[in-house]
Amino acid sequence: MSETQPPAFADSPSWWERVLPPLLFLVALLFLWEGTVRWFDIPKWLLPAPSAILDRFLKLKTLWLHTGLTVMEALSGFLASAVLGITLSAGIVHSRFLERGVFPYVVVSNAIPIIAIIPLLTIWFGFGYAPKIMIAAIISFFPIVTNTTRGLKSADPRVLDFMRSINATRWQVFSKVQFPSALPFIFAAFRIASSLSIVGAVVAEFYGSDRGLGYLVITSATQLQTDLLFVSIVVLAGLGIGCFSLFGYVERRFGGVETERGYRR
Amino acid sequence: MTTQLSLTLGPDAAQALCIRLDGVGVTFRSSRGAVEAVSEVSLDIGEGEFLALLGPTGCGKSTLLRLIGDLIPPSRGRVEVRGQAAHAARQRNEFGFVFQEPALLPWRTALENVSLPLEVVGFPPEKRRARGKELLRLVGLLGFRNSYPHELSGGMKQRVAIVRALAWGPSILMMDEPFSALDELTRNRLQEDLLALWAVEHKTIVFVTHNISEAVYLADRIVVMSPRPGRIAAVLPVRLPRPRLPEMRDTLEFLEHVREARKALGV
Repeated sequence: MSETQPPAFADSPSWWERVLPPLLFLVALLFLWEGTVRWFDIPKWLLPAPSAILDRFLKLKTLWLHTGLTVMEALSGFLASAVLGITLSAGIVHSRFLERGVFPYVVVSNAIPIIAIIPLLTIWFGFGYAPKIMIAAIISFFPIVTNTTRGLKSADPRVLDFMRSINATRWQVFSKVQFPSALPFIFAAFRIASSLSIVGAVVAEFYGSDRGLGYLVITSATQLQTDLLFVSIVVLAGLGIGCFSLFGYVERRFGGVETERGYRR
Repeated sequence: MTTQLSLTLGPDAAQALCIRLDGVGVTFRSSRGAVEAVSEVSLDIGEGEFLALLGPTGCGKSTLLRLIGDLIPPSRGRVEVRGQAAHAARQRNEFGFVFQEPALLPWRTALENVSLPLEVVGFPPEKRRARGKELLRLVGLLGFRNSYPHELSGGMKQRVAIVRALAWGPSILMMDEPFSALDELTRNRLQEDLLALWAVEHKTIVFVTHNISEAVYLADRIVVMSPRPGRIAAVLPVRLPRPRLPEMRDTLEFLEHVREARKALGV
């Protein structure tokens, strides 16, 4: 058989072709790191070797407790923000009064440094998880409201005219035209807000808490348990990447993406 | 001034009255003050008439269309549809709108797009699919019923938009430069399709265009409008026989109508 293979998959690299190069670089970096630490005998508190970090990671039985709590706080805050934010956006696009009255404060709220609010919420709600959830909610609120509002307003004005010409109710316009138009914007907002909510929960845990990944970061740093600090950072990075890929997937799958060839569901 | 004459220009006396504009004017408020978009328009449109609103960009012809369809209120005067305010006609879903852009929902298939108004006007759910397929068959798109708008050509999308505006059986078709974004061959095809549809359903059609030969080819009467502020410059009856056929476009009579309309437009 002298037939040449058709270059069917020439443009789309296979799974391992995409994953292998960054994986190789990561392995090379880890070896370089390990080698440098051993060769120069760098103290563990300054820079622990990857093997030491892995060792700590595997032996730390309470890690999943801390991770679980932080994820719970972030997720609760994020969900509260999503529900409240989308509801507020729906109100804003339907009421000029609400838009003028509330929207400026949504924008201003974003200018307040979130770190400055944590002590206040701690005074009000104590050292439990309640203020952490609130911080996670507050930090993810702004991107959700602004994006959803923009998305709801992105509905084609001609389609809105058409809906009006057939006497559609507000609910019909919202559910059949405005909300579906906003979905890509909402999923993009979720992608950003979900990672932000983890940042919010962790930063809130810095201030007065006895568990959670934020607590782990602070205590390990003050006790110079640098290997533990690295474990926390790696877990947090994993959570962030997880959120981003999850909503990236949801966006591609359900949101519909505007490509140069048109809208694809 | 001498331009204050308020003509009532009617269709044939035999036709029943469908739409009456009585001294209608529209003034928009903008940051640079009030802008008069439409001034002192009085016009009668007959039942089942094909009326073209012809004029240059900015002459208020689209505004006039939106006014009839009760998408904007008149600043002065009165719009009546079958003896009642236009608002009542919109409440009864009498208007089917087609715009220059197809304005389809990109996440719905052709069939689902045609179903949209059926869902809104309370068409029996079990009959929606059959009605949608019947309409798509009417414009030769049955095979594309499961295609999304981005998979259709411009002409196909506009065909979907036209049958979407006919889906629930409105009695008045409102068309705002529906073919002006299409190439000439596609435009001619769609003009034929529209005339064929009109011959069967015989709805009242108000057709906005800036294309002179399109207006002559399609309409019973052409209302020529002039800009700033938009008002009626002339009303020209088209005395070409029906059915209109493509070869008529080259006849002396057709060109005479075009010439007359061009003169009224002042170009």
